[in-house]
Amino acid sequence: MDNVIYDYIVIRYGELSTKGRNRKDFINCLHANIRRVLKPFPALTYEKFYDGMYIHLNGEEYQAVAEKLKKVFGYAYFAGAIRVPSDLDAIKEAAYKIALSRPYKTFKVNAHRNDKSFPMTSDTINRSVAGHLLANTELKVNVHEPDLMLYIFVKKDATYVMDEKVQGPKGYPVGINHKALLMISGGIDSPVAGYVTMKRGMRLECVHFASQPYTSEQALDKVKELLRILSEYQGEIILHVIPFTELQMQIYRHADESYAITLLRRMMYRIADRIAKKRNILTIVNGESVGQVASQTLESMSVIGSVCDTMILRPLCMADKLEIIDQAVKIGTYETSILPYEDCCTIFAPKNPVTKPKAEKCERYEARFDYEKLIEECLANDEIVHISFDDKKDTEELF
Amino acid sequence: MKKIYLDTVSTTRPDPAVIKTYEDLLEKTYVNSDALYDDGVTLYNLQEDARKRVASLLGVSAEEVIFTSGASEANSLAIKGCAWAHPEKKHLITSIYEHSSVYGAASQLERLGWKVTYLRPDKEGKIAPQAVREALRPDTVLVSIMFVNNELGSINDVKTIAEIVKKESHACFHCDITQALGKIPVDLTNIDLASFSAHKIHGLKGSGALIRRRHVPLEPLVSGGQQEGGLRGGTSNAPLNIVLAKTLRLALEQQPQEEAHDRRLKEVLLQELQEIPEVTVNSPADGIANLVSLSTPVKSEVLLNALNKSGIMVSSRSTCGSRKNEPSRVLTSMGIDDERAIRVSFDRENTEEEILLFTKSLKEIIKKYG
Repeated sequence: MDNVIYDYIVIRYGELSTKGRNRKDFINCLHANIRRVLKPFPALTYEKFYDGMYIHLNGEEYQAVAEKLKKVFGYAYFAGAIRVPSDLDAIKEAAYKIALSRPYKTFKVNAHRNDKSFPMTSDTINRSVAGHLLANTELKVNVHEPDLMLYIFVKKDATYVMDEKVQGPKGYPVGINHKALLMISGGIDSPVAGYVTMKRGMRLECVHFASQPYTSEQALDKVKELLRILSEYQGEIILHVIPFTELQMQIYRHADESYAITLLRRMMYRIADRIAKKRNILTIVNGESVGQVASQTLESMSVIGSVCDTMILRPLCMADKLEIIDQAVKIGTYETSILPYEDCCTIFAPKNPVTKPKAEKCERYEARFDYEKLIEECLANDEIVHISFDDKKDTEELF
Repeated sequence: MKKIYLDTVSTTRPDPAVIKTYEDLLEKTYVNSDALYDDGVTLYNLQEDARKRVASLLGVSAEEVIFTSGASEANSLAIKGCAWAHPEKKHLITSIYEHSSVYGAASQLERLGWKVTYLRPDKEGKIAPQAVREALRPDTVLVSIMFVNNELGSINDVKTIAEIVKKESHACFHCDITQALGKIPVDLTNIDLASFSAHKIHGLKGSGALIRRRHVPLEPLVSGGQQEGGLRGGTSNAPLNIVLAKTLRLALEQQPQEEAHDRRLKEVLLQELQEIPEVTVNSPADGIANLVSLSTPVKSEVLLNALNKSGIMVSSRSTCGSRKNEPSRVLTSMGIDDERAIRVSFDRENTEEEILLFTKSLKEIIKKYG
């Protein structure tokens, strides 16, 4: 059984620290995000240093804090640490504790002396600590593939002794790169598109098109649940639920069935475009991938996207379905995405949807009804929902 | 008269938190959890959430948790369901000292044409892994060995047995973990089927689960109905299933303290029993901490009645066989005279003082009737 003995967590920034003059903004944003996810642990105290930060656990459980940190974009890695005075005997003692905390068999010491006034070089620290472990434990040295890589980080005020570096999800801190409006259907792709968007530092706002009663309350719940999973990475997510039934019905009434999805998508983009402008959002993001379905051929995407002058980003456009599924599994959205509820694109799906739609034809169909008015109605009835990871709390007491 | 309850292996008092949640659920909801309107879906989702939590507490996945009415049903489903799903394999291995629901399922299959090998415990009260190995045949469909024996308290080396069954045969391994759960750490590695009851871990009667790893095919006992993956027809008792998650969480969270507490009481009990030369302890020294089987010169029926008079509740053997007039398979398999044995079991609600009151009464009764 592992025996967690850390009293600190050390976070290092990596990529972030190379960002020149924006560095301060990045760090402030990252700090705010870290503090946000760690809000449930009130005892924690924080201390910054040039390339990272220390979190003093003050008795909070390391594992629980670590799980939350894994959901923060923008740093390189973190590690549980024992903090001791920068004194060789204290360092040896901490190294000994860590060596015994898990069933390690082999080790290597990797000291880094930030404080050059410390009387030993990194190499002599390595030798001295290794000697102490060899003399007092059963562990053996293995410099190529050690079970235990013992990191010793000597600073002026204190030394941090660590064993395992936990890689973060990388990327940029959410919020540093403005906002994006994610079109979310409830399928496998859009949550993944949302994830990679947040990873590039954009804060998500989402729009979902609901065609009740043709689509069910469960379909909407599924979207909310997907966003709840994603909200762990950025905090609260705003979702616009657009009642789409009337507009959708009019499309079926006035256009050829094969063009229904094309027109449906054009309407969705028009609505997203207006929401983006109104909410000061610079880009629309979705899970489209070239060639995946009829509405995602290059011809379709071009005819559909042309109705909207807000920049459209399609982060998954070149990804294979299997790659997307792998990622959905990794971020924990897959199981929810595959729940079998119809969304507004699958109800009345045409038997032969057009794969090479013509813009003129779309315009001709659209001229047959007053879609502007219907879009206005959709926007007027936009239901705004705030979703956050802790939303499930009300049933928590049952378990 | 203050009553002293020393029969916790038989059942336990439900945790107040469990009762409270159950009452709340009963009051708030009565719809069918398979109904498609909102209330039904909400209840269904809660039940599935509970299933997920039970699964994660036991290190399995949600689809591997089948809610049942308790361990007896889970045992029956595991054994008969597994045998019926493999009609070409006609051999089972179990032990002579399993709970009656395992033994009963095995003997029922025997009457239907299966061959059953009943292993006997060694002198420590354990089923030797080597004995399991030797009994395995190419047509063995299932091996069922309990984790902790409910009359002796002996702890089987389930890890080794499971490994042998996994590596050296194509049989499934079923383990009745009822008496181990919440008392000692339970690891389900290599265990294909595992059963337990809620009421043995301060939960409610009529509730339990069968853990069925996804690669194990089963035939249902109650067929028809989509509930429990088609393995157990009938409207789900959603409130009961939902509180199983809390019951299990509380039991597992408190397991280390429970074990330490029970061990202290057991030490006190054993020390006191040493002072009574007429008493022999039947339980093995390395047995479970919350149970001691002992024999006295007094007939157990008489002893039970006399203790009952002083408000002390103990059993003479497994409560599931208490109204039968047959000798205990468990004790006789160990060469113990079951007419003179009683089982004392306790948990976190018992105190040292109660143990001392018990031994005091015991001494007096033996003096009087022994």
